[in-house]
Amino acid sequence: MLQYLVILLDDTSVAYCHADNPLKERCLMPIETLKKGILFGMKHNLMIQYVFPDHALPDEYVSVIESIDNVKIYPMGCKPVTGIGVESEADVEVANSISNKVAAKNLVLRLTFSEMLKQKDNIAKLFASGARINLCITDMEQFTDEQIEVYRNLLEEWNGALLNLYKQGQSPQFNLLTDRMVLDKMHNCEAGVSNITLAPNGKFYLCPAFYYDEQMKVDNQLNHHQPTSDYSVGDLEKFLDIPNQQLLKLDHAPLCRVCDAYQCRRCIWLNRKLTWDHNTPSHQQCVMAHIERNASRDLLNEIRKMGDFMPEIQIKEIHYLDPFDVRKEF
Amino acid sequence: MSTLINIKENQDAWQSGMAKNITFIVTKDCQLACKYCYLVGKNVKERMPWEVAKTFIDYVLDHENDSEFAMESVIWEFIGGEPFLEIELIDKICDYIKMELFRRNHHWFNSYRFSFSTNGINYHEKAVQDFIKKNRDHLSIGITIDGTEKKHDMNRVWKQPVADDNGLTKPSERGSYKDVVKNIPLWLEQFPGGGTKVTISSADIPYITESVLHLYSLGIHEVNINVVFEDVWQDGDDLKFEEQLMQLADAIIDGGYYQDYACSFFSEHIGKPQDPVLDNQNWCGAGKMLSVDAAGNLYPCTRFAQYSLRDKEAWIIGNIHDGIDKNKLRPFLTLDRTTQSPQKCIECEVASGCAWCQGENYDAAHTHTVFQRATAICLMHKARVRANNYYWNKLYRKLELEDLREQYEANKREVKPEIC
Repeated sequence: MLQYLVILLDDTSVAYCHADNPLKERCLMPIETLKKGILFGMKHNLMIQYVFPDHALPDEYVSVIESIDNVKIYPMGCKPVTGIGVESEADVEVANSISNKVAAKNLVLRLTFSEMLKQKDNIAKLFASGARINLCITDMEQFTDEQIEVYRNLLEEWNGALLNLYKQGQSPQFNLLTDRMVLDKMHNCEAGVSNITLAPNGKFYLCPAFYYDEQMKVDNQLNHHQPTSDYSVGDLEKFLDIPNQQLLKLDHAPLCRVCDAYQCRRCIWLNRKLTWDHNTPSHQQCVMAHIERNASRDLLNEIRKMGDFMPEIQIKEIHYLDPFDVRKEF
Repeated sequence: MSTLINIKENQDAWQSGMAKNITFIVTKDCQLACKYCYLVGKNVKERMPWEVAKTFIDYVLDHENDSEFAMESVIWEFIGGEPFLEIELIDKICDYIKMELFRRNHHWFNSYRFSFSTNGINYHEKAVQDFIKKNRDHLSIGITIDGTEKKHDMNRVWKQPVADDNGLTKPSERGSYKDVVKNIPLWLEQFPGGGTKVTISSADIPYITESVLHLYSLGIHEVNINVVFEDVWQDGDDLKFEEQLMQLADAIIDGGYYQDYACSFFSEHIGKPQDPVLDNQNWCGAGKMLSVDAAGNLYPCTRFAQYSLRDKEAWIIGNIHDGIDKNKLRPFLTLDRTTQSPQKCIECEVASGCAWCQGENYDAAHTHTVFQRATAICLMHKARVRANNYYWNKLYRKLELEDLREQYEANKREVKPEIC
């Protein structure tokens, strides 16, 4: 069931997930489109999440933006000035590099795998900031099996930093390691299922990455006679039309529905890019998610040595990193 | 004491379920331009160079220990267009495979087949016959003949002599029956158990009974027949189809053909509900197979090459130089019946035996996916089930009256699940 409407206010709105935003020219969503988008959200009971660019919006947008309860996703250092005193706890700041100043309660840190390794100590320092840290690896498709041990060791090191904070009575939140400890079912991106994206052109997309692909003329491979890059799934005039929407849902993903790496993003854009099917995760996505899952298990076991902690959560020991390798056992 | 009863069934493929199927698309050219052919991009330009074939064989044999190539046996299949147009290349490929299997002491040595599905037109030619003699013990060849001359020539026509500017071939009005049927005796002499494939499209329905009986009269004991998966069916086709199959059932039973001749339309194992958990396997073998084309691109099945696809782009899973991108295979190897089926199929009371082609599913899908089952044959399958029920009820009763039913039940063959 749809719950969230993501509104990209500008073509250069900040990328906040796996896909980089390759669009460099400003193209603001027309204010009439914005109003219609908000109306759509209100009529369908959707929580609106505005995605801001790194430049200020014209004054007339402010009152429209604030005409409805919302969450703001904005580039680091560009906190939107809206004149509204109420700041949402759910607002999200997005950074592509490490900064000591975190303005929002939620930080999305977008790094390549190698940047993440280089900045591991600075990232660990952020755990104590009080903000929820969402680390998003932007080149997941480059991950190789030779890096498994490196990633495992990194998470083990971060487990040590997190454990120290728990010992001090804090409750740090770091998506790669602490989310799985509190989840008893899948909690994924759910693009096209619980959220949908409205782009500045007034069309809906499963997520911003599909809009980027369309704008960058990435062929959607649906017609070899007349190649097209149309990735839209409806517009504000005709509303939503998501073909094969069932394939975006967990119960139609043969690998994921039996998996317990509940913190996995299950990114359908990466699925589409790497396996060519929305419902099938790549080897890279599965392996990385399972390394995180197993590290979460280790952290949970260490925390429990200090006392009761989430007793209802069980993360069993497993001997594979990719469910595909043991699919016949499911 | 009663006569020992025999009811002929369609035979399983060699090493069924235990062999890796590897297909060379040696050419996209064919002498014919059959009207129902799913190969919409046949052309005279794309012929496999020897270097591509050799590099591909080396790639496959170099990866003997990979899970994709661990199966006990291998079927090297040659497909076109018409494969025998490239008999010299095929001969060279097969010699190289045999030599390499021996040199490498490969586990497929002496556990391989070369398999061909041919239109039969140049079957008698010296180069083809020399090849057959050389590889006789490791060969499986099927010639496609569609039935009576009228039925065959409705669809299986020669191509026009000149291709268009893109090298694409077009159908002529000249039927090919006489050019094929002359080679049937030679083929049956060399492959006495040989079966033929018959394809049924909308216009062919009235000729099913006479065509199957005609093929029996030619000495072909095994007729593998299916309706096309594409959405070509018209209102009322299912009822005409049912009527034809019932006529065929009467002819087979009343004429006693069931003892020595098989027709794949009739099977004891179709038309039952399927359990969503226990009967959840995929029908199609796409992804477990591997195909290569003239450009050296690899496919999960030939049906995913561009010349087989009306709309979608080819689903290329790698190439002979870089190997297989295993991510591109994951959707195929995680497919199951229920995930790709609409609810009406999951709940269908006569689901078993209802086939699908993963390539057609992909081509007809609304998105880029192999998880959307095309259901254009739904009414045709249901018609087949009704006629099939009639066939078996009639045959069982005949056996009972002849006091042969118990003997038949006690001796009948255990059937493996059908797979494409």
